Amino acid sequence: MGILKWSRSKSPWLIHFNTGGCNGCDIELLAALTPKYDVERFGIVLEGSPRHADVMAVTGPVTRQVRKRLRRIYDQMPEPKFVVAIGSCALTGAPFGDCYNVLGGTEKQIPVDVYVPGCPPRPEAIIDGIAKLLGKMESSDDDDGE
Amino acid sequence: MMMTENEIVESLKESFGDKILEIESPRERRIFSRIKQEDLKKVVAFIRDDLQITHLSTITASDLGDEIELIYHFVYEGAIVLSLVTEVPMDEPKIPTIVDIIPGSQLYEREVYEMMGVVFEGHPNLEPLLLPEDWPKGVYPLRKEYDLEKLRELNKDDTA
Amino acid sequence: MTPRKDTVGRKTTSIPVGPQHPALKEPESFTFEIDGETIVDVIPRLGYVHRGIEKAMESRTYIQNLYLAERICGICSHSHTTCYAQGVEELLDVKIPDRANFIRVIIAELERIHSHMLWLGVAAHEIGFDTLFMHSWLDRELVMDLLELISGNRVNYAMNTIGGVRRNISDDGGQKVKDSLADVEERMKHYVEVIKTDQSIRQRTKNIGPLNCTPAADLCAAGPTLRASGIARDVRKDDPYAAYGEIPFDVISYDGCDLFSRTLVRCEEILEAIKITDYAIDNLPEGAIRVRAARKVPEGRVVSRLEAPRGELIHYCKSNGTDTPERYKVRAPTLANVLALGNMLIGGNVADIPIVLAGIDPCFSCMDRMAFVDTKSDKRWTWTQEDLQRYALKC
Repeated sequence: MGILKWSRSKSPWLIHFNTGGCNGCDIELLAALTPKYDVERFGIVLEGSPRHADVMAVTGPVTRQVRKRLRRIYDQMPEPKFVVAIGSCALTGAPFGDCYNVLGGTEKQIPVDVYVPGCPPRPEAIIDGIAKLLGKMESSDDDDGE
Repeated sequence: MMMTENEIVESLKESFGDKILEIESPRERRIFSRIKQEDLKKVVAFIRDDLQITHLSTITASDLGDEIELIYHFVYEGAIVLSLVTEVPMDEPKIPTIVDIIPGSQLYEREVYEMMGVVFEGHPNLEPLLLPEDWPKGVYPLRKEYDLEKLRELNKDDTA
Repeated sequence: MTPRKDTVGRKTTSIPVGPQHPALKEPESFTFEIDGETIVDVIPRLGYVHRGIEKAMESRTYIQNLYLAERICGICSHSHTTCYAQGVEELLDVKIPDRANFIRVIIAELERIHSHMLWLGVAAHEIGFDTLFMHSWLDRELVMDLLELISGNRVNYAMNTIGGVRRNISDDGGQKVKDSLADVEERMKHYVEVIKTDQSIRQRTKNIGPLNCTPAADLCAAGPTLRASGIARDVRKDDPYAAYGEIPFDVISYDGCDLFSRTLVRCEEILEAIKITDYAIDNLPEGAIRVRAARKVPEGRVVSRLEAPRGELIHYCKSNGTDTPERYKVRAPTLANVLALGNMLIGGNVADIPIVLAGIDPCFSCMDRMAFVDTKSDKRWTWTQEDLQRYALKC
């Protein structure tokens, strides 16, 4: 394993983007960062800028207004990048699927690596999803900088 | 001294007579009153200056077919909701703004404007508030003529 | 919003803020006009999370809409379903059992406690006091556990139904709630003490984001924002719903008109909410928790209001005799406070933007990337929320 891949999978930086959700997943994601669940023990840090992030955590259905921003933020992330879709809305649009301003789930806009279902998923489920992603990162073929 | 629902109803009736088309209090702390749109500003000014009701909770617009019904939900002392109902014709949806009397109505009027297409004449900044920037002009999603299918068609060419 | 008069005509700089935030909640966007360090105008651009729920509600049945109402906001989900259910119950002319009303109150107050503690954490984070952020979120987990104990879910509890509530609270469960809340109360008293005495908190909040009583009333502000400006309005007291008419409690208000008052109002409301919950559990009436309600709702219209954690929530429902509403309107408290937000920000410092924005406890505490546009040189650059915070702390 190359040093870049090793360091990425040991300490992935996360960017959170709500694409139109109800806040439920967002507060659970935030709860995962606070002392009771504490994802920082896996080296996961929440980052504000997409340019510094390895993983994008998307919550909520994609609204028409936010679509371009989602794309832009995804494009700004450096390669290789990973996307975790959190919550039923981010998976399929769920109850908002047929609303006029909603374009459906995240996967219609950008490629998604891990899906975490639930309305909202518990912090443990979110952590589990991210841990699965770490496994995927370690076993991925792209060996950068070697 | 708090006014009761009855006192509010009476004072409106007394001041405006038959300009108040309908007025009723379906239950305690709720009043619905229907007026003509040309009387709206006078009534709102009276509500603010004489009845001391300054809080506007929101404005609801509903599509009645030939008319758009506007409901101004005022709240007296945080307790009694006085809903002023008025109608504007669908083919010429215009009504004077009340921003100069109730400054807090700004965003509510903008919301009604973009969702129902009611033009509030004299509003300082009547621009879209909630709909996307690339939303087609002249499509007002809460009107009944646009059903969900039709509105979702708008998104189709967009996702491609 | 109206810019300050003395700056009209001068060269100002525009700062678009949003629509992405790293820590939480919804994306929204604000454009700030600044002159040097001073904010002279604020232009909000909402709608990044506009999903079209009102339209969707017209095409679904009353029972289906309950789930949609729950998901208007994940933090105050119970407020929305309560408001929805009590409106529909009024249209149906259904009187729900007393026990259901008390359970609604208990959940509503637990929700208020968790929402205010969440706010306290976020506000502490915005002023650079991350220790308090972590502590308050750790203690908030006690309340989340209680909500899970009662409803089976931490967020989106699905407790309400038309005609009552779905789940009962056992005597044992009630005792657990009281025990846990006793711990929360002790912690909160400590935090109130910290907020009142800590110099750094006082400096970052005293006289910041001013909103005097007159503009607060004129701009139709609501909730803790209004109560911190000296106007003691609370729907629970003024227009009692559920069981609030039978429960003694005080409306907390402060007249400091600044962030410090807003913080104190919310913290003391938590203490008050604990009292209400304890009282409701002690006086929980016996009996059924729900009654049957018809699926078709007779023609009529209703205005339903309640005090959500962020302020006055108002729903309007017009029914047409079928099983779907003719028109459903929701006005969430944050929209009522957006205008007042402009009033607080104008004249303030760029460095205070994050905390003043957080100060109304917006359901869209947005702002991550900020693009700065210098109107003179047309140069653009981007700041993240972290940069902004760092900058804010440096000043």
